[in-house]
Amino acid sequence: MSVNQTIIAGEPRLTSAWNRSRLGAFLSQPISWVFIIVGGIIAFLSLYPTYFLFYGSLTDAPLGVPGHFTLQNYVKAYSDPEAYSLLLNSFIFGLGASGLSIVFALALAWITIRTDAPMRRLFELTAIIPNILPPILVSISWVMLLNPSNGLINGLFVKLFGMEKGPFNIYSMPGLIFVEGLILTPLAFLIVAAAMKSMDPSLEESAKTLGSGEFGVMSRITFPLIRPAILAAGTLNFVRAIESFDTPAIIALPARIEVFTTKIWREALGSFPTNHNLAAAYGVGILFVALVFVYLYRRFTSQVESFSTVTGKGFRPHQIELGPWRYAATGVALFLLILLVVLPILVLSLVAILPYYHVPTWQTWHNLTLSHFQYVWATPRVHKAFINSLILALLGATLCMLLASLAAYITVRTKIAGRALIEGLVFIPWAFPGTAMALGLLWAYVDFPIPVYATIWIILIAYVTRFLPYGLRAVTSTIIQVHKELEEASIVCGAGFLTTFRRVLIPMMRPGVMAGWIILVTIFMREFSATLFLYSPGAEPLGPLLYFLYLDGMRGRVAAIGLVISLISVILIAIAQRYSRWDTN
Amino acid sequence: MLKKITAVMLIFSAIILAAAPVYSQSATVIAAGKKEGKVIVYGSLETDSAESAFGAFKKKTGIEVDYWRASATKVMDRALSETRAGKPLFDIILTNDNPMQIMFKEGLFAKYDSPSAKDFTKDSIDPNLGPRYRNVVIGVVYNKDVLKPADAPKSLEDLVKPQYRGKLVMPDPTQHTTTTQWVASLDKLMGKEKADKFIRDLAAQKPILVESLLPAAERVATGETPIAITYVKYVYIFGQRGAPLDYLRLGKFMGDGHYLGLNNKAPHGNAGKVFIDYFLGAENMVMMAKLGEFVNRKGVYPPLPDADKIQFVEMYDLDSKKFAEKKKEYQQIFLH
Repeated sequence: MSVNQTIIAGEPRLTSAWNRSRLGAFLSQPISWVFIIVGGIIAFLSLYPTYFLFYGSLTDAPLGVPGHFTLQNYVKAYSDPEAYSLLLNSFIFGLGASGLSIVFALALAWITIRTDAPMRRLFELTAIIPNILPPILVSISWVMLLNPSNGLINGLFVKLFGMEKGPFNIYSMPGLIFVEGLILTPLAFLIVAAAMKSMDPSLEESAKTLGSGEFGVMSRITFPLIRPAILAAGTLNFVRAIESFDTPAIIALPARIEVFTTKIWREALGSFPTNHNLAAAYGVGILFVALVFVYLYRRFTSQVESFSTVTGKGFRPHQIELGPWRYAATGVALFLLILLVVLPILVLSLVAILPYYHVPTWQTWHNLTLSHFQYVWATPRVHKAFINSLILALLGATLCMLLASLAAYITVRTKIAGRALIEGLVFIPWAFPGTAMALGLLWAYVDFPIPVYATIWIILIAYVTRFLPYGLRAVTSTIIQVHKELEEASIVCGAGFLTTFRRVLIPMMRPGVMAGWIILVTIFMREFSATLFLYSPGAEPLGPLLYFLYLDGMRGRVAAIGLVISLISVILIAIAQRYSRWDTN
Repeated sequence: MLKKITAVMLIFSAIILAAAPVYSQSATVIAAGKKEGKVIVYGSLETDSAESAFGAFKKKTGIEVDYWRASATKVMDRALSETRAGKPLFDIILTNDNPMQIMFKEGLFAKYDSPSAKDFTKDSIDPNLGPRYRNVVIGVVYNKDVLKPADAPKSLEDLVKPQYRGKLVMPDPTQHTTTTQWVASLDKLMGKEKADKFIRDLAAQKPILVESLLPAAERVATGETPIAITYVKYVYIFGQRGAPLDYLRLGKFMGDGHYLGLNNKAPHGNAGKVFIDYFLGAENMVMMAKLGEFVNRKGVYPPLPDADKIQFVEMYDLDSKKFAEKKKEYQQIFLH
């Protein structure tokens, strides 16, 4: 036997020994175990219910019934040329609404975080309020304000300027984009504001020292530094807009504008009986679009080092002194707050004291009633729902942010092969239309070996599964900005991964973590599309209760409960924001 | 004097109703139902009617009602999914005809002949599902402040006159299944030829399309649009809160029937039977009628003017294929 032959014969043994030693080295790292556990949990949460939907899209029988393999659902969904023209409408709607939300959020975040504009703290606290209100209520409020027949603002213009008819028509593509843009602004605000809070001002100061003006600093330093956050918010909001059905149902339908979700509703989710298979095939299409956006986002933010702004050198984001312009800045923020918060809340307050939902006349003032608030006060069912939702919101948001922080660390900070998969996995359940995903979750857990169905745990699982992308985006945009030198210093000093994560990274990522937590708490307080199918009768949270009351035309009660939820959420936000500031470290 | 006699009779009837056993069920079933302690209902009965009925039932029997409320399609989706997984949590389903028939065919329901069924008219008893406890009646509703009764249309055919162009709101028949059924069943009222023409003329009026029957009623109540195709009961329900609504006296009105069924694997089967007997019984039916519902118990009507003159015509049951065909057809007519 030649030497060569000996080597070749021994190669598999050598390779396997080398692989074993590589595996051993991999497993000896604590971060590898974190990757395995976090990746495993996310893969399970995401793929298990999604499997049922993918399976459903390739079969001809309802979920849970053995059927035959077929591509017919895809043929039906995508062979119709109408689908593509509606996708174009959805694209325009999604881009417009997410773009508008980013513009509003940037303006508000910059004024409230980076300038010395008066009342900025109040604006920061209230900018999140629209996220608390069910989107359907915001849409209804704007219809009441801007409908061409008797919208309150249109009526005001007609009275003040003697016009023949009001200048605004909510039932149009601009109207649709405007309302959805307002609904999406708080989410963008929280993500962008968190990134602005984490910025090192020394870069801006250096630019100024080198002779750059305020505008130059903003366009060449500030804007590029918060680009990951802008892209994160833009990605989330774009996908959220193209999969939303509520606003199009209220505004686009009377305007006879059709979007992709209208088609999904007509042919699949709203058909009788519900065609889950076709809905799943449509969902896979939206998922594809969402994943393209995730890919683009990752490409834009791949050079993470260039975004690192939080370094080991102590800093406190400085405030730009606007001089006399600070009042103008307050004016802009105030105008945005009127659109985002004041007008919808005013309309809701009005609806909460009207005996029935209508545009008020002089006669109305004699018929105002507090009966809707009495209902909230005196009904045990409402009290139980508040308690259930508070538990779900606090626990769900905390669990979600813990998982999101670990996942963000793995995807941004480590070079572990397969880390990008985690981000893709997180997005999968979120890209399906809410009702389709709820059915996937129902079927996934109704027959699960651990009896979680019809308990509070299944709702927590559903919340973490569906809303993890929000937490991940919020925290990723902050972690990108934290320079590696801080954790390297911690490790050099002998701290392990978990200690470094707990004592260095979590505090440094705090603005992002708290922003994500706030987003999630406000969503979980009113979530209904996943909850509806999963809660156990008798343990009803607020989301389904609001939905039932809305379904039954009890707008007054919905508005009254909505206002109480807003109040509770504002208190939670105020506490959370106190802990998100750098100056409290 | 007449008022006094009426008042005495009403009080007397109320005392009899309150004192009578709520159900004629055997004592064993009642005792077993009480022992089970609760009944789980999945249904699409509206909040006010549900809270009144379930509250009174609990007061009378001590049995708690856990209610899961959703649209008819969602009720069916959850019930079928749980059953196929072998873990049905519900005892009672309470929803409208089409999904009830599908669930019946899937074998979800136990056969139960309630003693309370005998007080329903023969034509309201379905051989599979038992008594149709209420009808949801669709008609033409208008706002009296925006449109004086003299200027209001007088018939369905009037809706296609030029003066009502752009003044009508209705649910989108390409999306809202009950409206798809209603449009598809118009030939029951006016014959096929007339119905086909009417549907095309109606679409040509460019009605404002909304997602379902409630937003249509709300737009009329707010005065945003003067006329709506919607549930007639909203005239009473919104009227109670002060909305100036009235409805066209069309004589014949189409609508859908609602039923309730007992799960054949009910976790609280006895409590479920006690619930059905109470629900179909006189006390509950009278109470629901007072809330504006068109119940089918003999001689019981909602407090809506001329409610007793309404002739109910049940809409066609459409299968999934027919629904898809009709939605496609109406998409061509209404949206292009």
